[in-house]
Formats: sequence, C-alpha cells, structure tokens
Amino acid sequence: MTMNERGNPIVRWVKDSGVWRSFFRQPYPTTSRTRALAVMNNVFLHLHPVRVKKHAVRYTYTFCLGGISFFLFLALTVTGLYLMFYYVPSVSRAFQDIQAIETSVAFGQLVRNMHRWAAHLMVLTVFLHMIRVFYHGAYKPPREFNWVVGILLLFLTLMLSFTGYLLPWDQIAFWAITVGTQMALYAPLLGAESSFFLLGGIEVGQNTLLRFYVLHVIFLPLIAAIFMIVHFWRIRKDGGISGPV
Amino acid sequence: MTGPASYGEVHGPRVGEMSRRSFMRRIVGAGVGLLSLQFLAGSLAFLWPNIRGGLGGQISIGTAADIITQFPEWAAGTPYIYNPARLFIVNVPAAKALVEGQTPDVPDPGTTFGEDVPLADRSVLALYRKCPHLGCQIPQLCEQSEWFECLCHGSKYTVLGEKRDGPAPRGMDSFAVSVGEDGGYVIDTSEVISGPPVGTATFDTRGPGDMPHCSG
Amino acid sequence: MTIEKRPNASADKNAPTQAPRVPVVERGTGPKLPGPPGVPGTERFRLLAYVRQESMVRVDKRPDETVLTWPHLLRAEFLMAGLISALLVVASFFINAPLEEMANAGNTPHVAKAPWYFLGLQEILSYFNATVAGVLVPLLYLGGLALIPYIDRSPYKAARDRKLIWIFFLCLMIGGLLVTFIGSFFRGPGWNWVWPWDGLFFTL
Ligand code: FES
Repeated sequence: MTMNERGNPIVRWVKDSGVWRSFFRQPYPTTSRTRALAVMNNVFLHLHPVRVKKHAVRYTYTFCLGGISFFLFLALTVTGLYLMFYYVPSVSRAFQDIQAIETSVAFGQLVRNMHRWAAHLMVLTVFLHMIRVFYHGAYKPPREFNWVVGILLLFLTLMLSFTGYLLPWDQIAFWAITVGTQMALYAPLLGAESSFFLLGGIEVGQNTLLRFYVLHVIFLPLIAAIFMIVHFWRIRKDGGISGPV
Repeated sequence: MTGPASYGEVHGPRVGEMSRRSFMRRIVGAGVGLLSLQFLAGSLAFLWPNIRGGLGGQISIGTAADIITQFPEWAAGTPYIYNPARLFIVNVPAAKALVEGQTPDVPDPGTTFGEDVPLADRSVLALYRKCPHLGCQIPQLCEQSEWFECLCHGSKYTVLGEKRDGPAPRGMDSFAVSVGEDGGYVIDTSEVISGPPVGTATFDTRGPGDMPHCSG
Repeated sequence: MTIEKRPNASADKNAPTQAPRVPVVERGTGPKLPGPPGVPGTERFRLLAYVRQESMVRVDKRPDETVLTWPHLLRAEFLMAGLISALLVVASFFINAPLEEMANAGNTPHVAKAPWYFLGLQEILSYFNATVAGVLVPLLYLGGLALIPYIDRSPYKAARDRKLIWIFFLCLMIGGLLVTFIGSFFRGPGWNWVWPWDGLFFTL
C-alpha cells in the first residue's frame, strides 16, 4: 500500500517507512471511515464517541463550559508544574520564592499570573457549567449520579483553589486562610479537631503550608482527575450530552 | 428395588441457609472492609499533627519582676504582650483594679493558678491573641472601655477574656500558667483552653452600651 | 432493528394477512403501556422487522441527527482551547496576580477576607450563630445541590414542567450570589457596610 503517491519524496519515504507506520497506524484521516477509526483507535480521542449529536457541537448549547473547565484544569497542571520548579513550601522561603519567580525567572510573572487567573476562572466556569446543566435538565435519569459527581468536582475545585491560595505566603494568603479555616472550627462536634488536623497545629504555620502544598499539588488534583474520568466516561456511556429541552 | 426413584441428595444450601460460596464471599468482604478501615485509621494517625503549630511546648516568660523591667505598665494593670506566642499576660489583680477605675500598683500578683480557681481569682492569665471568631489578632486593651476589642468584626472581651459583644462564639482562648523551677511563670502552649462560654460574667458586668469603644 | 412509532395503536387493527417477507412481531397482546397517546415517552411501539445493519447510518435515523466527532467536535474543542489560551495569556500579560508583604501573624490587616468564593459564607457568618452558618449552611448548600436529581423525579425537562426545582435552584443561586456579592464589595474594615464607591475591599 503506497500511502503517499504525491509530495516530497523524502516525506514520502519517511511516511512509508516501517518505523513511521509503527508510530502511526494510519495516515492523516481524510475520509469518514478513517476519521471514525482515528477517534476509535486513539487513546486520547476515544474519550469521545465516534459520532456526536448535532446539538452537542453547537457553541450556544453548552457554551463549552465543561470543556473549558477541563482545559483550564490542564492549563493549571502545566503552569503549576512550572511553578513547582522554583517554589519551596517553607515559611522562610515561600514568599521569597514567589518574589524570585516574579522578578528573576524568565516569564515567571506571566506563568504565575496565568496560574492565578486560570484558577479563578475555573471556579467560575465550573459553576456556570452546573447552571447550564441544570437549565437543560441534564441531571435527569440516567444522568443523576453524574450530576452528583459534578457537585463533587465543584467541591474539589473550590478546595484546590483554597489550598493554593495560601501558598504565596503573603498577608492576603495568610489571613484569608486563617479566616477560612476558622470557619471549619465551627463544626459542632469535631470542629477543633478538624481544624487542628487541617492546619497541622493550632494556627496557620509551617505545618499548614506544607499540608496545603501537598494537598494542592498532588492529592486533590489526583482525586479530581479520577472523578473527571468517571464524569466523562459516564457522559459517554449515557449517550453523550443530554438533548435540548 | 422398591419405592420411588430417588434423585440423590440435592446440592446447595438448605432453605434459609447461606451457601458456602456466599459465606466465603462475605468473610472476604468483611476482611477487606476491616483492613480498609484500619488503613483509614492508620492514615489519620499518621497525618495527625504531632507538632503543635507555631506554638507548642512550655514557654518560660520570666518572673513578675522580669516582666515589669521590660514593661512597667504591667504593674498598673495593662496586659503584657508576649509576641513569640501571641499572648496577653494579664496581671489579674492589677487589671481588675484598673477596670474599676483605680490606679493600681501590683508588682507581684502572686502564684494562684489552677483550673478550678475562677478566672477572677487567679494571679496571672495567659490569653491567646487569636480571636475565637475568625482568627484575627486582638489588639491591646482599648483605653476607652478597658476591654479587648477585635477590630475585624467587633467582638469584645473583658480583661479576663469573657465575651461581652460581637459575633465570637465564646470568650478568648487561653493557656495554662504555672510557676517553673526558677520562680518564673511558665506557659503550657501545647494545649489551647477554650474560652468561657457566652454569658459567663464573673467580673466586669458592664454592657456594650455603657461606654465608648475602639471598634464598631 | 426497525421500530415503527405508533402514536395511536388502536387504529391499526389490520395486521398483514399474507406472510410477510421479513418476520413481523405484533405487540398487540403485550402488556398495556401506561399513559395517554401523544405524551412523550409513553407511546406504544410495535416491532415490525429485523434489518441487518450494514451501513454507518442506521436505518431509521435521519442522517443529519449526528455528526462525526472528527472533525466537528474536535474543531470546536480546538477553537475553544485556543481562545481560552489566548485570553489567559493576554490577561496575564496585563494584569498581575496580587502579592502583598510577607505573611505576619502579628499584624492583622484592616480587612481580613476569605477567598471570594467563601465570602458569601463569611457574610452569613455575620448574621447567624456560628454552627448554623459555618457548618449547616455549606453542608445543606452542597447537599441540596447534590440532591436535585433525587428531588425532581419527573421525566420532563421543560422549565414549566419542573417549577418547584427551578424555584429551589434559583433560591440557592440567587441567595448565594447575593451574599457573595455583599461580602465581596460591600464589606470593609470591621466587616462594616461600605459602598463600593467609598472604597473597594476585594482582592482576587
Ligand atoms: S475575628 Fe475577631 S471579631 Fe471576627
């Protein structure tokens, strides 16, 4: 089978080679059949069904809010990973590290800004996504449980944002977390214990910074990713996104 | 060979009994459940903080004389701010006299402590400056009212830390005070003692409307 | 498998008399499905024939009901991702993330506010007793949201068919928005009321 009859002979030679074809099982899909196969055979694309309902690709039906939320999660993962190269979660270093990122790392300020704004935006889009789904009544059977998973993801998004809020270790961060965690102290039975556990002590300090850091960079993202997989899988198994009202 | 044909013994559980297989399944399930529970409890124990925040441990703040050399107003009733542990060290007899409008001079308040002694009868109190409402730092005694007044949301406490006004759920938290080997005061910051509940009024029964305030 | 939609089952009493070329299954004797004719989801159907599927487009589906994921959905996703990335980079280029002085436990700022999404909670905390506001409200809020599909059991999606849950949802949304808004823009030092034009105490 000669795949590339035309074009640059070198490109043709590369693309016809066994090595190339061991990477990519099929050429760039141009027909309905190959496009369907491409979606089916690619592990990343196969999150999608081969065909979707027509209204599902209309921007004004979903406003892409769920997709944007997921994309922001990915963007936050990447920018967050970058920031981790320079940040040490210690009360004596954290603040200086943030300053160093802003002043002496190439594009450091930009990356920090992107991480911050994407985080705020994600809280917003997740919330708007929930409103959109409610509007369309898309929590109706068989999608009830996926709605619950969605609420859980909303909660996880809030927690991710909240734990990240402390990390710059400046006055805004410190007092916002002090006020925020003090609210947890109001739980009637185990309030004091839960706040002690959360803070790693009786007030916001080194232990808190370390705890929030670990939660923020690995624990919560992992849990969120797991529930996202469930969320997306269920959408697919329940026949794609719900239909119009 | 007489009698009706027999099909032999019928296998499987008798009515109302569990099959061996489902019995095994339940045992294994219970075991896995138990192990998960243990794992959860173990994780909780592992993650339980063993260092008590920025504070923790016994803090020695010196004798009454040491405090007065650093902060002479202590003898006249103004609480001494011990910032490494964010504490108000209250000279109780002097502070009480101050609130009553006198100009006291108590260079040595004594060594009466203990959980069972009422707040007003103790010699020295170590009040935590973290507001029990949302955790703001409580500033020095307000001069107009002789109360501690949190500027964040206007919670107000008497000089003994009893709540009089504002959104706080209880009085100011405190730490146990004792006397160390060198005769100085020692504060046990390993455990926060929750403030007295709202409505406790052992001393200073003025209401919030009785005088001007520093905070709204 | 072809299924013929029969909004009015009783009209079709004349089943084919000759033996049909494809097997026909009549469901006239089956259990009666509830519901009046014409109400969505309650029509009666009868199985007319099995048809082997050989093409991508299924027999009874109109061909324009679905589109291929590649390119239609992927194109939409790609465009949106690009748009959001551009937005993010441009915004981050012009607006810097806030950073104040280093944290200092001994220096409470004039205004101590939680992150903006918790300001509604903080606002409620200033009205009610702490247990109600700090624990019950967030628990009931998230719990109430999670319970929506189990409260509203009707199969209808149109707003007029689920008034109750709409009211419930709007109450949660508007209430939450209102307190968050007040806590964000109308509260200043000492959690006292401040008009936004007299001073904005809000950091993102
Ligand atoms: S933190 Fe002191 S009154 Fe709110």
